[in-house]
Amino acid sequence: MPIEFSLTKKQLEMREGIHGLAKNVIRPQSLAWDRAGGIPEEFLRNMARLATSMGSNAMRSGLGDETDEVKKEAEKKRPSGSNLFGAIASEELAWGDGSLLLGLPGPGLGGPPVKGSGTEEQKKRFFGVFEDLEGAPLKWGAYGLTEPNAGSDVSGIRTSCRKDGRHWVLNGRKCYITNGARASWTVIFATIDPSLGRAGHRAFVVEKGMAGFSVGRIEEKMGLRASETAELVLEDCRVPEENLLGGEEKYVSKEGFMTAMKTFDNTRPLVAAMACGIGRGAYEYACDFAKHNYMLSRPVPRYSAIVERLAKVGRSLEAARSLVWRAAWMADSGLSNAKEASMSKAMAGQAAIKACIEAIEICGAEGSIARDHQLLEKWFRDIKVYDIFEGTGAIQRIVISKRLISDLKSF
Amino acid sequence: MISFEPTEDQKLMVESVATFARNTLRPKIREFEKERGVSEAVRKTAHELGLGLVALPEAVGGAGLGMMTAALLEEEVAWGEPSAGFAFGGPGAFGFAVLELGTTEQAKAALAPFTAAGGHSCFGAVAWGEAKANKERPGFNTTATKSGAGWTLDGAKAYVVNADRADHFVVFAQVDAADGWRGLGAFLVDKSAKGLKVLARETTLGLDAVSFGGIELAGVVVPDSARLLGGTDFNAAMVRFFARNALVVAARGVGLSRAAFDVTREYVDSRKAFGKPIGHFQSVAFTIADRAMDVDAGRGLVWRAASAWDTYDAGDRNARDEKDCLLRSAHAIAFVHEAAMRCGDDGVQLHGGAGFMRDFPVEKLMRDAKQIGLCGMTAEHADQLAGAVAIGAPIDPGLVLPTPETQNAFV
Repeated sequence: MPIEFSLTKKQLEMREGIHGLAKNVIRPQSLAWDRAGGIPEEFLRNMARLATSMGSNAMRSGLGDETDEVKKEAEKKRPSGSNLFGAIASEELAWGDGSLLLGLPGPGLGGPPVKGSGTEEQKKRFFGVFEDLEGAPLKWGAYGLTEPNAGSDVSGIRTSCRKDGRHWVLNGRKCYITNGARASWTVIFATIDPSLGRAGHRAFVVEKGMAGFSVGRIEEKMGLRASETAELVLEDCRVPEENLLGGEEKYVSKEGFMTAMKTFDNTRPLVAAMACGIGRGAYEYACDFAKHNYMLSRPVPRYSAIVERLAKVGRSLEAARSLVWRAAWMADSGLSNAKEASMSKAMAGQAAIKACIEAIEICGAEGSIARDHQLLEKWFRDIKVYDIFEGTGAIQRIVISKRLISDLKSF
Repeated sequence: MISFEPTEDQKLMVESVATFARNTLRPKIREFEKERGVSEAVRKTAHELGLGLVALPEAVGGAGLGMMTAALLEEEVAWGEPSAGFAFGGPGAFGFAVLELGTTEQAKAALAPFTAAGGHSCFGAVAWGEAKANKERPGFNTTATKSGAGWTLDGAKAYVVNADRADHFVVFAQVDAADGWRGLGAFLVDKSAKGLKVLARETTLGLDAVSFGGIELAGVVVPDSARLLGGTDFNAAMVRFFARNALVVAARGVGLSRAAFDVTREYVDSRKAFGKPIGHFQSVAFTIADRAMDVDAGRGLVWRAASAWDTYDAGDRNARDEKDCLLRSAHAIAFVHEAAMRCGDDGVQLHGGAGFMRDFPVEKLMRDAKQIGLCGMTAEHADQLAGAVAIGAPIDPGLVLPTPETQNAFV
């Protein structure tokens, strides 16, 4: 396979299909969702059906009991290079609306740790709840790591767990949990003893309705307002021992902690791709605005500064996209890509933020007025968090530099 | 299919050129600098490796390996010595000029001396820049006037790469004064032409082994057959020449960036302060991470553009593919030039006082970085070109020509 950047015919068709959906169906509703603070369930159900029909395994997230035949069937449906295509699809969908992908039913960020560390029985039990897309109410999974006093520094978590008979008793608070309130289950990280550091960490699948498990407040956010972000409260929450992810033996080594981290190598390029999609939306909007407001009456070079700004935005997004595609391609090729995934996330977050800011400036004062350039105003609010969630820009630089500088274990 | 993996052939070529760069070029960078050129023995080796003719099609005597292979090899050469690609001998920019602007017969004849034995001492040059802008009208001061069966060239050209080494020139001159930047012509002129005078070589900030200088043309007469008409659309062909040539310069910029990054990464690993390697301090480590992103993203953009050129050349050279080439090249050129400067600057900065000393190569790389950004198309011109493509403005040669007229706001 030589170096190449063209999509196959099938991939092109799929991308065009997704783009059409983003343009004609998603974007026209984007502002209404933002204001309502959510996306109607029926719409989400339709999107989930569509994703399944296109061969996405998001709903099943690699159920452990798949027979070879089932796997083969899924592979056939899925375009080869599923990480890459995932990145391309994510960019298109986020171009339509940034919240939508985060709100799609399914295990979400909770999927990778269950898939990576869960026992066969656990995988079957927890992924099983997503099987029925039709009759049943929609279901979500969630990932509960962040706490009021521990975010990027995961080793600082204080949510406690202690064994009591055949149960574990959890106490603590988790915050900024995507889909936290509506999740059927959430992977909760806790510690048996903070002084043990990573070795003390345990991951549990805590199910909705378990005694002592409740939803705190739903956050009001700057952007991505149609995505649910919740606080979760654990007060003497009793979790059956069979919900300890991977079982006791999993925690003999430091794997418990590593489980939390592994989630991100695959998701960072996708989040970076979403950032590229939002940034591209703003960039295209600004190009269009410049074209129609300056082009007709005056020659462009009179406005060389505006053209140059647009070009800078365009190339930064393109640069970020090249890092996204590389990271995804590496994942598809079975190459380890922690550094490259972080690079894509670090660059895409910043390039897209810049794109959204510049677009507003190019459109002038009007750019900030919700009435006239509503999407610009929304994108500006939505994009900031892309340099924060899934690891802030600084965290990405820690990941990258540890892989470039000799013997650098920690700062 | 998107892929970031070179072909087996490309890998072998890259390996042999990388070995040459590591063992032959890098140890001699100060020698080349002092000699203000690359020694004949090294030029011979480069010629034997076929480095000067990689991208040119077989139909005109080139190796026919395409722009992607050229980009890969140019990066390796420039990693060893950023000047080398310009100073090896071979057609250089002249090759792309006759390729885009001439007929196949013209190109084949013009390139014949470079493919013959002794090609390592044969240089080509393209003369476009002028020391003074024309204050009366857009366009060049140098004129070409129809005279009998030929053309008479009058004027002076400046900042010409390899002016004093070149045996063969392409000279841009004003054919139609009323047409401004759209009224230019290109002419093949031999060094031996009566009335052509090579001016003294300039002393430059960086790229010491590259020769920059000027030529004077006083009533130089060339036959009609020396005029390069650029197929059916001279202006479009001219922009293609600038973009293609500057993309190769950008590929060298990636090699330069990587060289500055590598020596700096090694330095922060070994230099200790406050009891640990300086790379173990966050501000240093994060800078290293940022520059690593610059190198990788720059390479990604160059590859993307090179791939677009190979698609364009292999296809029917249609207008849509052409715009794709121009946009992607412009993105790559602007990004890489700025990134190279950041890599050079931060490289010196992280070396501290040592970086300022000529004992270390990084000060040279910083000087080279500024200079290399002025060899093809500047970042500003590339942004003007990219912006014009993005908003659908006419692609005027004035966008990419290194004259103050590009910034019409100043006129």
